Amino acid sequence: MKKINASGFGKPIILVVFMLVLTILRPSSFLTVGNLSNVLWSISVYGIMVCGTIFVFLIGGIDLSIGSLCGLCAVTIVKIIRYFEYSNTGVLVGILAALSVGILAGMVHGVIITKFRVPAFLITFATQIIFLGLSMILTNNKILSCLQPELFTAIGMKKIFSFPIPIYIMLLIALTSWFILRKTVLGRYVYAVGGNAYASRLSGISDTKITVLAYVFSGFTTALGGIVLASMTQQCMATTGSGYETEVITAAVIGGVSLLGGEGTVSGALFGAILIGLLNNGLNLLSVPSTEHGLVKGIVIIIAVGFDALQHQEKFRSWLNQFKMKRAREAA
Amino acid sequence: MKQTTIRRLISLGMLCALMVLFSCTSRYYLNADNLLEIVRDASVAGIIGVGVTYVILTSGIDLSTGSCMALVGMTMANIYRYTLLPIWMMLLIGMLVGLAAGLFNGLVVAKLHLPEFIATLATMGIFRALTYAIAIRDAGGIITSQAMTYSSFVKWGGAVGRIHYVSIAFVVIVILGQIVLKKTRFGTNLYAVGANRKAAELSGINIARTRIMAYMTVGLCAAVGAIFTTARLQSTTALLGNGFEFDPIAAAVVGGVSLSGGYGDVVGTFIGALFMSALDNGVLKLQMNTAYQYVIKGVIIILVVMFDAWYNAWMEKLAQERGRKEAVKA
Repeated sequence: MKKINASGFGKPIILVVFMLVLTILRPSSFLTVGNLSNVLWSISVYGIMVCGTIFVFLIGGIDLSIGSLCGLCAVTIVKIIRYFEYSNTGVLVGILAALSVGILAGMVHGVIITKFRVPAFLITFATQIIFLGLSMILTNNKILSCLQPELFTAIGMKKIFSFPIPIYIMLLIALTSWFILRKTVLGRYVYAVGGNAYASRLSGISDTKITVLAYVFSGFTTALGGIVLASMTQQCMATTGSGYETEVITAAVIGGVSLLGGEGTVSGALFGAILIGLLNNGLNLLSVPSTEHGLVKGIVIIIAVGFDALQHQEKFRSWLNQFKMKRAREAA
Repeated sequence: MKQTTIRRLISLGMLCALMVLFSCTSRYYLNADNLLEIVRDASVAGIIGVGVTYVILTSGIDLSTGSCMALVGMTMANIYRYTLLPIWMMLLIGMLVGLAAGLFNGLVVAKLHLPEFIATLATMGIFRALTYAIAIRDAGGIITSQAMTYSSFVKWGGAVGRIHYVSIAFVVIVILGQIVLKKTRFGTNLYAVGANRKAAELSGINIARTRIMAYMTVGLCAAVGAIFTTARLQSTTALLGNGFEFDPIAAAVVGGVSLSGGYGDVVGTFIGALFMSALDNGVLKLQMNTAYQYVIKGVIIILVVMFDAWYNAWMEKLAQERGRKEAVKA
């Protein structure tokens, strides 16, 4: 309990310091509603995806395929809307189809990983290639644009109270997964399986079921991310969403999610996504050339995560000291 | 001990099965030239894979290898263009840069206690940006590629007889890597740190030093990989090794190195690298649309991994049954 408080404390400080620096450097352009809403809008796809993939990280798995799965879902919805000649029915069918593709992919991952007990890294590495290939087959290596109907473009572009819809979708998904993880038995089980799969199996939790559910939820949010992405850009191609897996994993890990499982919160993962968004935004506002973004981003990540990791380090030391003292007492 | 030998034979058998499959699909697959080409294409990922194996054994990961290659390549390009240093000095400085990059990774991971994944992701960006910072520019300030055609450098990209230098280096590094892993204290420490870090710490192993040395090995391997790659391309660009970081990791994991640490060895990575290269080569020779190639490649990886897992479970079951029978007899 104490640790959750401690690590929850450092992150807002980092964000506030970071925003202060940017406000001082660019007073007229940074701290405006328009710019902040842009930052949130630009991270909303990562944000939506990370809220689902956090389940996979929490059970100690990894999903490298989310980038190309996001692309495949985007291709699916655009293809279907074009097939239905840009009608509203097409949008609804497309959304359903894209979500089913995501859920199906998650189920395949989950079943293969649990039934055959194979490393998630390799399976999702392979499906990443497969999904990319499928997108290439579907798009025939062309860019498919889709500027109609309004129902489709509204998903990514329409503003309600001066914030675009994707931000609301992100908040809704974040609230949902926060609720599942914190307030339901299922959430406790997810943490238990990630903390110690063997122990949780012995205490009667079906880790197979939990693992499959985690991958299915991850596939669902990835599909949602793909739909939003397709609507934002109003086009898609085979490489849409490629590289998103690293962004999403980065966001999660910056936010304190352990890739070994059992540790991490939705708010932390969202913090990571927002920090990345602010970093990109700040670097653009300060007109840093894109070739140097990596340097600044890398250093900021090392400082931000290092700041967080220091707490763990101290904890480890005190644990070691206690152990030593205990041993000395026993020897005496 | 016997169990591991059987496992090794099984993975070799799968490699052979793959090659038999592809020699049925293409008549250009099974000949000496193509087989040597497969080894050559496996080499750079495999050389870096040796270092990556060390890091994964300590339950770490290194995503910065591709950027590290670019940094080494660009450093050598600068030396080539602006100094009169002999080639061997250029190669030496390249390796030192690789070692320094590895040291930096190791310090961030072991001293700042950052999670390996995020630390090396950050240094991946940092090394790439440093590469851009020192990149060769033309008169207009545009980043260009630097040709490196000095014959005593380019020869490293060539072959002696029909065997490529890089393949020889690959085999030598794998043998060295395996000896260090199995016969030295450093190698044993790697296993100990990965299998149970707290136990290793309590039994007096210097964890930080072991991890830093593992990352320095990766840096050195990446530098060697960069040298052979630039020598073969006879030039270097700032984009060298972009997206390459997952190849060595995949080679290691296919070769049976466990990502949670403490299990696997360098020879496994050797076979894994050959497997991935043989797969790439064979799928390419199917002469199909790239899209279908991707799908086939992915499906084959999944099938092989599933077979491996099924076989493992089966062996475990057999061993258990044998144990039970012996218990009954006794």
